[in-house]
Amino acid sequence: MSTEQDSDTAARESRRSGPLVTVTRWLENLGETAFAYLLLTPVFVILGAIALYPLLRTFELSMYINVLGTGDPEFVGLQNYVDMFTGERDPDFPGSTTFLPDVSTSSSFPFVHVSGWFRSALIVTLVFTVVSVFFETIIGFGQALILDQEFRGRRLVRVAIIIPWAVPLVIQGMIFYLMFHPSTGFLTEYLANIGILEPTNTLNDPLSALIIVTVADIWKTTAFMALLILAGLQSVDRSLYDVAKVAGASRWQQFKLITLPLVLPAVAIAVLFRTIDAMRVYGLIDIASSCTVVPSLSCMVVETFNTNRGLASAIAFVTAGIIGILAMIVIYRQYKEGF
Amino acid sequence: MATTTDQSSDSSDSDKGVLAQWTQGVIGDDEKRSRLYRALFYVACGFFLVTTLFPFYWLLVLALTPNSQILTGDWSLPVIGLEFPHPQGFNPQAFVEVFQQIPFHLYVFNSFVLATITTIIVLLVASLAGYVFGRLEFPGKGPLMLAVLMVSYFPPAAFLIPLFDAFLGNAVVIPFLGIELFQPPRLVNTPGSMILPFSALFMPLAIFILTTFYAQIPDGLEDAARVEGTTRLGALFRVIMPLSAPGVATAAVLTFIAVYNEYFFSSIMALENVPENWSPLVGGILSYQDQYTTDFNLMAAASIVGVIPILILVVVAQERIVSGLTAGGLKE
Repeated sequence: MSTEQDSDTAARESRRSGPLVTVTRWLENLGETAFAYLLLTPVFVILGAIALYPLLRTFELSMYINVLGTGDPEFVGLQNYVDMFTGERDPDFPGSTTFLPDVSTSSSFPFVHVSGWFRSALIVTLVFTVVSVFFETIIGFGQALILDQEFRGRRLVRVAIIIPWAVPLVIQGMIFYLMFHPSTGFLTEYLANIGILEPTNTLNDPLSALIIVTVADIWKTTAFMALLILAGLQSVDRSLYDVAKVAGASRWQQFKLITLPLVLPAVAIAVLFRTIDAMRVYGLIDIASSCTVVPSLSCMVVETFNTNRGLASAIAFVTAGIIGILAMIVIYRQYKEGF
Repeated sequence: MATTTDQSSDSSDSDKGVLAQWTQGVIGDDEKRSRLYRALFYVACGFFLVTTLFPFYWLLVLALTPNSQILTGDWSLPVIGLEFPHPQGFNPQAFVEVFQQIPFHLYVFNSFVLATITTIIVLLVASLAGYVFGRLEFPGKGPLMLAVLMVSYFPPAAFLIPLFDAFLGNAVVIPFLGIELFQPPRLVNTPGSMILPFSALFMPLAIFILTTFYAQIPDGLEDAARVEGTTRLGALFRVIMPLSAPGVATAAVLTFIAVYNEYFFSSIMALENVPENWSPLVGGILSYQDQYTTDFNLMAAASIVGVIPILILVVVAQERIVSGLTAGGLKE
């Protein structure tokens, strides 16, 4: 190691002139703030061109009524946003005549006691997010603790636990679609017998479909949680445990006083990004069930994109706003507990 | 489980119940307690193995069952009559047919290339940002981190149309003013039209992971490297990044897999679903489906084939992730 370092310094010594050295020296002499901004330039160039620019254009679009095949878009200001909240645009959503979230017409959807796409979608998305992120965090933490141990066959278990994350969305959807499809499903009957799922037309029943989509999501993305939390666990300094053992701490105390606080930043990042991601659920619903059965906020964006682009853009921005509020709550709680 | 048999052999105080004795024994005896932990540990392991791997078994069943039988499937086992999915017939040809119907390997290759390049770009750029956010103090740090995070709040569809327009070669327009700026090159049907959006969209997660891990490396280690004459960037790539191996490997794996399986952008940016237009893996899998028929068995077989590269990656990367900082490199 030291010889490597020596030869390294020697090499650097030998090329003490030339443009590279000038640049390096200039970099080294930059103040911390200037250096920080310089290193952030690539990130913000990429994000500015590929994220900020399209977002501004989309925001502009959200202020127009842009229904396909009706000539030039018409500027309407915030009308799309107002219409969305008041339910004025509900007929624009596909299946809005068959979708029955109102409790007066469908008793199988206990969460939704209001009619109107936006409110239904908001509630469905929130329920999906809270339930899936809760279970993913608990199970993911458990899996990460297992993966952190040394034991025979741990390689196999590690790969097995991570591998659901490697399944493309389309296939994840297909796996669960066929598992619960009326003619191929082998699980529907059992679960219907104990009253969890609707026995017939399972994937078209809002509550059953929401359960299936949630389980499918938990199956796949728990691996994401486990992987991130495992990386956090691996960064915990092992010698702390030796100290704790000498001090006579029990396993539970070691977990509570050493593992938990040190791994919390990684857990917080995992929870934050999972919450953001779950709030944008679309593909899984589209494949395993249907956007008219389990409407999510992103569903509404995609389903209206080809018919009413202005409205779709408005929904996208409102979705982002809601996610922003949730993210701030997660960040604030984390900040209070000491990031 | 071994604990119970062990306990019965030395049942000296027999006035207590068996359970009470057993609990007493477990609480009092370190040896037994650790054996109980181990038993619970293996039970949990087994449970997770079954729940994560069962859907893959189901995928294999679908791949091996001839397509005509899938939708009429009766999964009850002949002997005990239980409903448990098992291959109806044995049709391993599906794995050959996957490559005969379409050049599936080319789709896999496309995804692999897209994922590799994106991961490299994301790791490099996010490392710089992670270093800055995790280890430097400067005005505007909080708002800038929030700005990065905000990119991930938006449904991907919100980026799609303006990017697609620009990648078609239409002029970039200043929003709200309508002034045309310049004509970008036509990028659709090229890897660039996918790598650019992927890099931006998967950047926030990588930045936050790396920020968290880089922030945990003690200052002393970086200072030591600096004293030896390393530049700040040199310290990042030679000291901080290697010491954060679990975090870096995790960010890499998460980015790679996400891009490898992406289809929302790719399906738009590749104007036709053919490998020549850089249509990715999922595009290939969906080719077994047309308006009239869906070859579930081929889709299942193709997915199994498509997962194999990821499997190899995970096997390799997990060694990095759990390489652990056991050497005590983190001590101040």
